[in-house]
Amino acid sequence: MKERLHDKSNAQQTQDPIYQVRNVSVAFDMDRGTSRVLDDIDLDIERGEILGVVGESGSGKSMFADSLLNAVVSPGQLGGEVIYNTEDGQSVDVTELTDEELRKFRWQEASMVFQGAQDSFNPTRKIRTHFVETLDAHDADIEDGMDRARELLSDLYLEPDQVLNSYPHELSGGMKQRTLIALSMLLDPEVIVMDEPTAALDLLMQQSIVRLIREIKGKYDVTIIFITHDLPLLAELADRLAVMYAFEFVEIGLTDGILEEPSHPYTRALLNSTPNIFAPVEDMTAIEGSAPDPVNVPTGCSYHPRCPMATDACVESDPGYYETNANHGVKCHYWEDVDNAIPLQVTADETRQVDVPAYGPVAMGTDRTPVLTLDDAEVHFESSQGLFAEPDAVRAVDGISLDIYENEVIALIGESGCGKTTLGKTAIGLQRPTGGSVSFRGQDIWDAKDGHGDVEIPHEAIRQSLQIIHQDPGSAINPNRTVRHTLELPLKHYNDELDMGDRQARILGMLETVGMTPPEDYADRYPHQLSGGEKQRVTLIRALLMEPDLILADEAISALDVSLRVEMMDLMLDLQEIFDTAFLFISHDFSNARYITEKSGGRIGVMYLGEIVEIGTVDEIINNPKHPYTKSLVWATPDLDETGENEDVPLRKIDIPDARNPPSGCRFHTRCPEARETCARKKPVLVGDGGNTHEVSCFRDVPNHEYWDSPELMNDEPSDETPTEK
Amino acid sequence: MNWYIRRTLQALLTVYGVITFTFVLIRIMPGGPMESMRAQLIQQHQGSLTTEDMERINRIVETRVNIDPDQPLYTQYVDYVSSVLTGDLGQSTWHQAPVMDLLIERLPWTIFLMGSSITLSFALGITLGAIMAYKEGTILDVGLSSYSTFMTSVPYYVVAVLLVYFLGYQWDYFPIQGRMAPQTTPGLNYPFLAGVAYHLVLPVISVVITGMGGRALAMRGNSVRVMGDDFIRVARLRGLKPRTIAIQYVGRNALLPMYTNLMLAVGFMFGGAIILEEIFGYRGLGQLMYSSIGNRDLPLMMGCFLLITMTVVIALFIADLTYGKLDPRVQSGERHESF
Amino acid sequence: MSHSDGEPTPFERVAERETSRTDYYREILDRNVVAPLRILISDTRGLFGIGSILFFVFLGTVGVWLTNQPESTQYILLPPFQDAAHPLGTGRYGNDVLLQLIHSTPFMLQMIAGGAVYNITMAVIVGTFAGYKGGRIDEFLMTIVDMIIAVPALPLVIVLAVIFEPTNPIVVGIVITLPSWAGLSRALRSEVLSVRTHSYIEASRTMGLPTASILRHEIIPNLMPYIMINFVNAARRVIFASVGLYFLGVLPTSGIMNWGVIMNTAYETGSLYTLDTAHWIILPMIMVVWLSYGLIMFGQAADKVYNPRLRARHATTMTQETARTEEAES
Repeated sequence: MKERLHDKSNAQQTQDPIYQVRNVSVAFDMDRGTSRVLDDIDLDIERGEILGVVGESGSGKSMFADSLLNAVVSPGQLGGEVIYNTEDGQSVDVTELTDEELRKFRWQEASMVFQGAQDSFNPTRKIRTHFVETLDAHDADIEDGMDRARELLSDLYLEPDQVLNSYPHELSGGMKQRTLIALSMLLDPEVIVMDEPTAALDLLMQQSIVRLIREIKGKYDVTIIFITHDLPLLAELADRLAVMYAFEFVEIGLTDGILEEPSHPYTRALLNSTPNIFAPVEDMTAIEGSAPDPVNVPTGCSYHPRCPMATDACVESDPGYYETNANHGVKCHYWEDVDNAIPLQVTADETRQVDVPAYGPVAMGTDRTPVLTLDDAEVHFESSQGLFAEPDAVRAVDGISLDIYENEVIALIGESGCGKTTLGKTAIGLQRPTGGSVSFRGQDIWDAKDGHGDVEIPHEAIRQSLQIIHQDPGSAINPNRTVRHTLELPLKHYNDELDMGDRQARILGMLETVGMTPPEDYADRYPHQLSGGEKQRVTLIRALLMEPDLILADEAISALDVSLRVEMMDLMLDLQEIFDTAFLFISHDFSNARYITEKSGGRIGVMYLGEIVEIGTVDEIINNPKHPYTKSLVWATPDLDETGENEDVPLRKIDIPDARNPPSGCRFHTRCPEARETCARKKPVLVGDGGNTHEVSCFRDVPNHEYWDSPELMNDEPSDETPTEK
Repeated sequence: MNWYIRRTLQALLTVYGVITFTFVLIRIMPGGPMESMRAQLIQQHQGSLTTEDMERINRIVETRVNIDPDQPLYTQYVDYVSSVLTGDLGQSTWHQAPVMDLLIERLPWTIFLMGSSITLSFALGITLGAIMAYKEGTILDVGLSSYSTFMTSVPYYVVAVLLVYFLGYQWDYFPIQGRMAPQTTPGLNYPFLAGVAYHLVLPVISVVITGMGGRALAMRGNSVRVMGDDFIRVARLRGLKPRTIAIQYVGRNALLPMYTNLMLAVGFMFGGAIILEEIFGYRGLGQLMYSSIGNRDLPLMMGCFLLITMTVVIALFIADLTYGKLDPRVQSGERHESF
Repeated sequence: MSHSDGEPTPFERVAERETSRTDYYREILDRNVVAPLRILISDTRGLFGIGSILFFVFLGTVGVWLTNQPESTQYILLPPFQDAAHPLGTGRYGNDVLLQLIHSTPFMLQMIAGGAVYNITMAVIVGTFAGYKGGRIDEFLMTIVDMIIAVPALPLVIVLAVIFEPTNPIVVGIVITLPSWAGLSRALRSEVLSVRTHSYIEASRTMGLPTASILRHEIIPNLMPYIMINFVNAARRVIFASVGLYFLGVLPTSGIMNWGVIMNTAYETGSLYTLDTAHWIILPMIMVVWLSYGLIMFGQAADKVYNPRLRARHATTMTQETARTEEAES
């Protein structure tokens, strides 16, 4: 990675800029004033580089992307100059182009990939039509163009003809995103602007796409502007980084320079708040305060209200760019002092000891009765297609046994579609298993519900003890009710000895406990008057008011901004201390799972296609992963430590197989780099190594297994991959 | 394919359900058509009734409504369903002719009238809605939207009456009655076709200007929503021609939800034929049904009801099948998890 | 679970003093009655809609009470705006058109209310239940609904009306819209399908709330704008169909007074032939259009009442701080 930087000049003055952005602003006129969502930006983009733009949601990074193509949606007004230099030395100001020139410029010179690949295709047309009509609109040769399309698609590990003949809804999210990348490169553009192209995807897919982008960039010689909220992702990808805060770039420089010596307090805070699998957990801290409103950007340095170093000078004068060195510019008056004022978290070496949990550790003694037991639980969904079709069963959960103990925190991780949410819902009795059993303190949940046999714990009590917190705070609270009203519901239902005043007191007390003060004010708000983090706190309170023994946190922090995640997880753990609950924490993100389990001494379970393939303590899973799938997930977790091991993707295929038709034998064998012939025939079982917490389901963990004598699976086996229907 | 089978079964089931429904109405309802018809005959008979007289009356009733009250109920039912399915809808008491023959003569005229009304009101409504969406926020949009909203609150028969009153009676621009010009012979000849078109103008206009508003507003809403979708933005960035985007991207996707609208409209409009045809003295199925009410001609009334329903079911079935062609997603039918 | 030691956790907290009931109810009243009304009135359409509806209700109650039944007079076919005693003229039998219109209103209103309430109730019950329950129940109910939708309403209604000859206004309202709930319930069902994917529904299920309570508290409030619009549409459908059928004389007209019957009498006696008699048929038409336009305007404005953003802004019991945040986020 480093050698790619040799031909780069410094950060501010590029040698052969493809883009020269000068004084660019985007403003919206609103009732309450002008909203400036891009504030006087100056930036050069070097031909052939990968420029990473990082910023939290609402920082203006998408507006920056739009302004490069003069594609700001009205009523937004784009001001300033966006100079584009062609290879043969001509310069055009993109903001001055006529409609027809702009139509040609876009996609032929500069194209764009959005986050919403799910919705980037016309649902009523085949993928092929999208390619053909694009070629047609730019008067390109259809046949040559389609050849190029096929090449691009196969470079992105897709089956060209299969994809081209599909309708958008027949492709999975990852496939659509890659198809969109291929479409964006169809006319051989000089620049591709990628706005959060991987945000909606799983870790493995994300990493794979990032690798592919790097390969493709080398092969097709393009300039890439990669915009994301995910700093670690850029560490491995970008040549230069531009950090966005409050609608402007506060720090620009070479990636190494910024990661090693970040000079803006915001950049440092962002780095410190980013969960990461190897840095010590206690060093991770959230950023205080919240990002400014585009109508009322603070005077002077826009970061001063949140900056621990702020002085009167910061309030009065807006810092210009200070050059820390020729390659690195920063908008901070006190950049020389940041080292001491805001120390960076230690990037620890990988073999360090796991910290003593900050919260009460859970002894995993066998003598304790678990709160919840899953015994060989199965959930098979029938996706019947009508009267005469053979019903297909999706094995969302396929024979999983798991014990969850008092106060334990278990994190389940896996790619989307692996069944982790279904497993979670089965565990808390929301989903009836089609096989096996789920019991709460020894009482089968569904027997209690149906009234089978001797019911020792009534269903009502079980229902109360198992609660949930959802992923999307936006949809987790009824928008038509005030916070007070939402929180009254569980109290009315289960605590009828409380009178109205007691309920109020309890609700206000809880609001105060989670830091929503003044509570009287928050209690009267409607959900739209709360921020994402605040909504998530309300759902947490709602679950806790039921006095549960186990809470399922289903991707509960994934929708929050990176800088808020650590804070939310800390709050969950604080409350767990007070309220004695176990957590089943579901995540697709290894760093989050690791943070919450390591702080509480919990376990991590890794799921793949309806099965748990490996489970153990944080230390065992992160530092000593045994299953090849776990290894690939650890590999895929972006890491700020950009000593970039440029190894290949540790997978033979990047798409997950169709869950309706899972592979025989070990389900991972179609993607496993270590798979041998035995794996396709025989199914490994989850076994521990003698009383230990660490269990893994892989033949490689069994010495003298026939696996070791069987031949390796060839990489070029016929593809049985079908597009997964979404 | 399954989706098609499903829709076909659904349509057949509906037809069967409606036939059963009419049977129930005729046979089982106390004071229902059959009872009243017998009462009528007994009254006409005058004098005392012998057993033979009763049997004769029952036979008359049977030929008229295809139900023989002497048979056990299930046999009556089977006979009734099978005769309806073979096209025997009984005998009209007023016209003294088989109901089916009367209906067949009227059916094409109604299909023609309502078909052109529906087609025109949808075509114009959709075009207008698309224009409004593209000009969103302009005076044109505001004006047309207000007009459309107002027109949805005017019943079609009000417009029909006003049109007959002004353009027919007062100014004499259009015929106030009938479905074809007098002294023309049906067939592919100009005088006949011109006459038919001339008689069609007023009824079609009254349906179109009242029905169009609702469609236009729906189309406008759909288009505005679709125009905010990501794929439209991507299509613009891809440099597609505005025309392609307007038709293939916005138009096609905004049109899909209009199908539900169409489904409901087909039934509503065919039903409305009864009022419309009566006002314009247009000799179609609706007018036949209207006159059968006045004449207490129950077999004919039930026949009209059955035939209008069948026509609508078939129209909906055709619409359903074409919808499958327009929206590729529909065939991968999903079932919703049950709680 | 035990929390024996020390400070009570927020769990165990109880109130130090009782909240005043009066305050509580005042707040409820403010949020549920006063704020919605303010929202309605602040909108021109709402003002027109609610004004029209109140006007017709006034006409049908106080108006009927204040005026006499229209009776035959010697003034036959007086044109409108000529005689102060008969401001809207008279019909062929010399009865005052204004009085006819006024005394038709109670029948119209009862019929509209009957039909609309029946339709909405059926649609809400079937639509929300099918949508929420899903699975086979949903499939079964929707198969039936699809069948009903496919049957054209008017011919069916005519058949029923001819057989049963209803005269009670509420029954008439129900009979003439007997199958109409089906289309509406299908639409409601698809709304429910999208509402039920929200995680707060699942959260309520997890809390063990019974289905009926989830439907009532969590699902139906979200459908309210939709239900209101459709309520208005159902009302409009009752007006259109009833006036149409009375106009044609399909429904029994003897001893009944409503706008459709007036039009029928006028039409039958040849009111269409000359300009002199046209007012007799046109005036009831104006009433029909006015009422249904008022209903549509009301429906459009009612949409806003259920928008929590607007409701928050119009409620005075909201604290200042909340109001400001609201301002900043909108």
